[in-house]
Amino acid sequence: MDQALQHLVNGTVLGGTYALLGIGLTLIFGVMRVVNFTHGELYAFGAYMAYGLVSLLGLNFYLSLLLAALLGAALGAVIERVLLRPLRGADIDSVMLAMIGAALVLQNASMWAWGGVAKLVPSPFDGMPLVFGPVSVLPLRLFVLGVAVALLLAFWFLLDRTRAGIAMRATFQDPETAALMGVRVAWVGTATFAIGSGLAAAAGALLGPVFMVSPTMGDLVGLKAFAIVILGGLGNLPGAVIGGFALGYVEEFGGGFLSTEYRDAFGFLLIILVLAIRPQGLVAAKERVG
Amino acid sequence: MLRLEDVTVAYGRVTALKGVSLELREGELVSLIGANGAGKSTALKTVSGLLRPLSGRITWDGEPISGLLPREILQRGIAHCPEGRRVFPHLSVRENLAMGALLRTDSAGIASDLEAMYARFPRLKERAAQAAGTLSGGEQQMLAIARALMSRPRLVMFDEPSLGLAPNIVEQVFSIVQEVRREGLTVLMVEQNALAALSLCDRAYLMETGRVVRAGTGTELLESSDVREAYLGGRAFAA
Repeated sequence: MDQALQHLVNGTVLGGTYALLGIGLTLIFGVMRVVNFTHGELYAFGAYMAYGLVSLLGLNFYLSLLLAALLGAALGAVIERVLLRPLRGADIDSVMLAMIGAALVLQNASMWAWGGVAKLVPSPFDGMPLVFGPVSVLPLRLFVLGVAVALLLAFWFLLDRTRAGIAMRATFQDPETAALMGVRVAWVGTATFAIGSGLAAAAGALLGPVFMVSPTMGDLVGLKAFAIVILGGLGNLPGAVIGGFALGYVEEFGGGFLSTEYRDAFGFLLIILVLAIRPQGLVAAKERVG
Repeated sequence: MLRLEDVTVAYGRVTALKGVSLELREGELVSLIGANGAGKSTALKTVSGLLRPLSGRITWDGEPISGLLPREILQRGIAHCPEGRRVFPHLSVRENLAMGALLRTDSAGIASDLEAMYARFPRLKERAAQAAGTLSGGEQQMLAIARALMSRPRLVMFDEPSLGLAPNIVEQVFSIVQEVRREGLTVLMVEQNALAALSLCDRAYLMETGRVVRAGTGTELLESSDVREAYLGGRAFAA
């Protein structure tokens, strides 16, 4: 029982960052109908930026995380302007190929820039776990969860409560009519891709001090992001949050009670199950954003 | 106020407008009638900036506006209420109305206009928090009209506002169109229901295959024998 509680706590921490990863990807799909294969690489990019800013430039840890997320958003904006905008109206295969190409370029660029040796982002948190009865948790992990939840709430507020968020959802539902209302549709594309990328980079930067940072980490993370999005239903934002936590729990409990080696496989087993039983996703009644 | 001179528009290789000229004066209600595919909707889309003319001139208060973006057209006071209502189905009624006022920055004015819309369309107030996609067709048309008015336009263009609606709702829609015009707005209306459109309007243009083939007052067109034969039919008058 105590062990289960511990896994629940760990799964929640993991789920928070998975949710960040998932909403970024599902937002981009929902608004732009783009299957973003660079998502895992943007996660890796965020982690490396955090490493570079903290370790090499010696910047403040919190400031570095913020900057890493913003740099991720900026890189996303560049990818959208350079690759996606010229491909607007192109068939989905061409867009997918371009995104796969971009992912390869990004991954090899980080290999070239940072070398193949794994890095760890140093954090100001000490290694003594906080103990709450039967459960213990590292302060760093609590911080990661707190920031992830704060980002999720901020993102929900932006999309649900602000004019920009309403315009974004309107554009997803009917771009031509949104243009008639005065929306700069092309800008919405750039902003959406930048926000989605920034969330991926934020997740990477947050987990940089928790897990090791290596050039190929984006591969598995990208796959997991797709798993989360499929669990929640493509384009479904609350679904991505639920999918994120579901994946966190499945990995944590599966890894804890069944087999540590197959930890990463449990998530994918879950997807196979969901696709077989409920192909529209865990939550999705219909496709929508917001 | 609005003038189209020899405007030609093509979708790919299909020419949809072939040298269309028409004019609207301040405060007028002008109808554009004609069969399906005559180019009526294309004309509206070209004015609102969704389509770019290949050639010809569009001027607004004497200033050329062809080739501007839809938002720039809207900023100049031209609102377009599109065919098929096109409300944002997953946005609430209130959010749809907020989209209409997207370019405005006077939050007090927006709030009072919102109340005015709710007073005019009480059904929309009742359903303010509901997703627009759950409204009936008539309610969606009212929402689309209210949304267009939320931008405080000087000219509002209605594209087939009666399409697919029950007869009693159609009547309501036309009375709103007249009301809007009485309040001082200029109205350009595309309608397939030629009888209604001609009886409401000051002037009308009849379009056929991308060209304006007749122009005149509503009464003139109603009484012209070719319009009656082609678009009104014996039955419309018998009814």
